Amino acid sequence: MRIKNESNLLPSRDLTTAEHLSDEILAAQVARGDSVALEALYDRHAASVLGVLLKVIGDRPTAEDALQETFWRVWKSAASYESERGAFTGWLFRIARNLAIDAYRRMNVRPQVLSNPEDIDAVSDRTSDPNTDVAEQAQADFRNRQVRSALTSLPLVQRQVIELAYFYGMTRQEIAEATGEALGTIHTRARLGLQKLREEFEREEFEG
Amino acid sequence: MDLHKIEELLPFYALDALTDEERELVEAYLREHPEARQQVDEMGRAVQALPESVAAVEPSPRTKTALMARVALDQKARGSNQEQASRPWAVRWVNIFQAFGLGAATVAILWAVVLNAQLSYLRTQVATLNEALVAQSHALEQINQQLTQQPAPETITISLKGTDVQPQAQGQLIADPKNNSGVLVISGLDQLEAGKTYQVWLIDASGPKSAGLLSVDTKGQAVLIVTSGETIGSFQSLGISVEPNGGSQQPTGEIVVLSDL
Repeated sequence: MRIKNESNLLPSRDLTTAEHLSDEILAAQVARGDSVALEALYDRHAASVLGVLLKVIGDRPTAEDALQETFWRVWKSAASYESERGAFTGWLFRIARNLAIDAYRRMNVRPQVLSNPEDIDAVSDRTSDPNTDVAEQAQADFRNRQVRSALTSLPLVQRQVIELAYFYGMTRQEIAEATGEALGTIHTRARLGLQKLREEFEREEFEG
Repeated sequence: MDLHKIEELLPFYALDALTDEERELVEAYLREHPEARQQVDEMGRAVQALPESVAAVEPSPRTKTALMARVALDQKARGSNQEQASRPWAVRWVNIFQAFGLGAATVAILWAVVLNAQLSYLRTQVATLNEALVAQSHALEQINQQLTQQPAPETITISLKGTDVQPQAQGQLIADPKNNSGVLVISGLDQLEAGKTYQVWLIDASGPKSAGLLSVDTKGQAVLIVTSGETIGSFQSLGISVEPNGGSQQPTGEIVVLSDL
């Protein structure tokens, strides 16, 4: 793993110190075998990762197992993460997504988004956790609302294609088959959906 | 595939939902078309935000406990590996024997005889012996006391302790480090819910290796003939974890016992 500023790469002495370090610094420390850094990353992101895993897998015990496996893989392969190639969270969610898709395929269940395309997660259940930093949570919830708002602004059929492809790893042919639409229609919906999503993010960032 | 068809794949490339063959086609195309690369990067930024659209769910504390125990176990294996590299075998064995001393060979002769002469018999009778040994724990204690008076320099007894998950658990591993098997006696283990079992792990530099499943009685006691493809002395630690019935390839559940050998 390569990271530009190596001044903070000494092992984390305690969790309180580690909590103030960036994800990328902590990931570099994990690559050096620092379990306190891993714990800090877990405390910071486990709830978001579990949200994604639960959305796809739909079964709480299996999702919790996948959560443990996600951070175990972070522990074992942090050295392969390169901060120059993107944010740590992108790498983390890619690991989680792949595990979720594997579990979802093993369970052979129907994606929720096919049954209830209008369903979208609305409320975080982490507010009851007394250890969660209030300011940090407020910031995360704000960003959460922004992204959800952008996603809900899409026509249902476009959002459905994006969610089936991203969260469930379905190929365009599988989506066409599952929705009963022509392949060309699926292509158009994905393209327009991503384009609109990008425009929404840009607009919200500009306004925010 | 014509260029129009490849461009249709770009959103699915950004969504990471292409087949391997399609992905290769797109990547070859992107290498020659920087404007398409820019388009994909822009879509990728929108895609990267998608996980944030999902509501966070606070995980069970047990998930973190299990993860950190697994990490601690891995750290022990790594630490032992580094230690091995820096210390010659002879010195390490001298230290082990110094640490445990002759007094550690408490139940030596009987178990050495059992292990060396009747191992095959024990394997077939292990289920019966589990019950019998637990029921006759007082008799076993008396035998142990007798054995402490007999010299047995080849066999050692190693104390095992429960982790924070089950601090009341304790036991012993009785083994000759040069042999591939030993006897594990443990007590104070919690009753497990249906579908779960205890699994014993011998841990060396390459990680944990299954050494068998524990059948725990109603008093939380168990006896297991631990066997391995390598000598007991080649392992650095012993652990016991909670696993689904039938056991796992690697520890996945809570580590309830973890001790250096």
